[in-house]
Amino acid sequence: MVQTLRRVFLTLLFLSISTSNTFASEQDEAQVLDVMGTVADHDYFKVPGFINGGKIYLPRIFYWESAEGESKLSAYLSTKSVLESGEFVETEEGALVPANGGHIIVDLSITSHLIYFWMGMLLALVLTVMAAGRYKRGIGRTVEPQGAFQNIFEVLFVFIRDDVARDNIDHHKADRYVPFLFTMFMGISFMNLFGLLPWAATATADLTVTATLAFVTFVITQFSGTKDYWAHIFWFPGVPTWVRVILTPVEILGMFTKPFALAIRLFANMLSGKIMIIAILGLVFIFADLFGAGAAYGVGIFSVSLTVVLYALKAFVALLQAYIFTLLSAVFIGMAAEDHAHSEEGYYTEHSAEEVSAN
Amino acid sequence: MGLLAAGIGAGIVALGAGLGIGMIGKAATESIARQPEASGDIRGAMILTAAFIEGVALLGAVICILLALGIGQ
Repeated sequence: MVQTLRRVFLTLLFLSISTSNTFASEQDEAQVLDVMGTVADHDYFKVPGFINGGKIYLPRIFYWESAEGESKLSAYLSTKSVLESGEFVETEEGALVPANGGHIIVDLSITSHLIYFWMGMLLALVLTVMAAGRYKRGIGRTVEPQGAFQNIFEVLFVFIRDDVARDNIDHHKADRYVPFLFTMFMGISFMNLFGLLPWAATATADLTVTATLAFVTFVITQFSGTKDYWAHIFWFPGVPTWVRVILTPVEILGMFTKPFALAIRLFANMLSGKIMIIAILGLVFIFADLFGAGAAYGVGIFSVSLTVVLYALKAFVALLQAYIFTLLSAVFIGMAAEDHAHSEEGYYTEHSAEEVSAN
Repeated sequence: MGLLAAGIGAGIVALGAGLGIGMIGKAATESIARQPEASGDIRGAMILTAAFIEGVALLGAVICILLALGIGQ
């Protein structure tokens, strides 16, 4: 009981620190709330507390070509030191360009989303290594798993192995992909859940992050493709030749649309959750502007309670989207790695019936 | 014009996605009612299919957001 009270107290203390921090930083910035700015990537990392106004600036790294045509790799501690060095100037849109002409080839800067990407993956790694250490000592193999941590871990791991990998990938191949699928599930879950913290950023609400994740799935899918998979793409069995002329481009396009849809789905789901909460809280300020403070109080009660519900929904969606990403990755890999036991004609006839009865 | 297009587009996207997911829900609940012991498999297939529809719908929604923000003009 005392411990529970202490936890509640600590949580409240934590929240009050982080909210007072938001107030402080919003007062010295612009008055207009920038909706896309709250979900966009930044060159700083927000922390609860008052260090540098709650912001830690991150290093900027550029691979750029100067006006003389030589390419250079420059690294600076922060955006401020980039401008102080005089080699780059800021344009009106806020982008950095070399001062003496030339252009940036690749912007390799470390950003807040990248930090949260690393943190999500690192957390997944640390938890998995911790659990692996326990299994190595024999806890969970010779005796039952002990403690909440190991039990939750085992439930998640067995879920990914049995319900995601083995259900969708051929049985003798499935276990090879479990490490990848589990990493994806844990990493994306943590990245999504970090977005629920008041000062943190959702790394997966950035298309570049989700595209990178989907690209990994794409590469693994292509490399695990069997002869049958490539045959179905370039020379679809069991159809007339003129149909193949239509089917081959469609199948090649399908190779790329699958991971593309994977990236867009995760990105849009995480982005829409954030924007929805901002929009509903924004109603308070819109009503205050239009009808005065009284209406704003009324709408405030409605908005805040709705936001609480949405927040819980977001926590659920965070896990659900990680699951869907993992599940679809497994389905795509399973489709590519499948060994077809069918002949060219009997695709849907005796063979598939036999397979069903055998299973 | 961009805002109008985004509004109409978002409406059509919601219409299509709602129709699709509604049909999945109908089929899934009907089949669970008929065969309650297969509800686990049906639920998995339902989430998978819903995710595919959602992917297309969100693609439309993202394009509507881009239109509304005037990106690409």
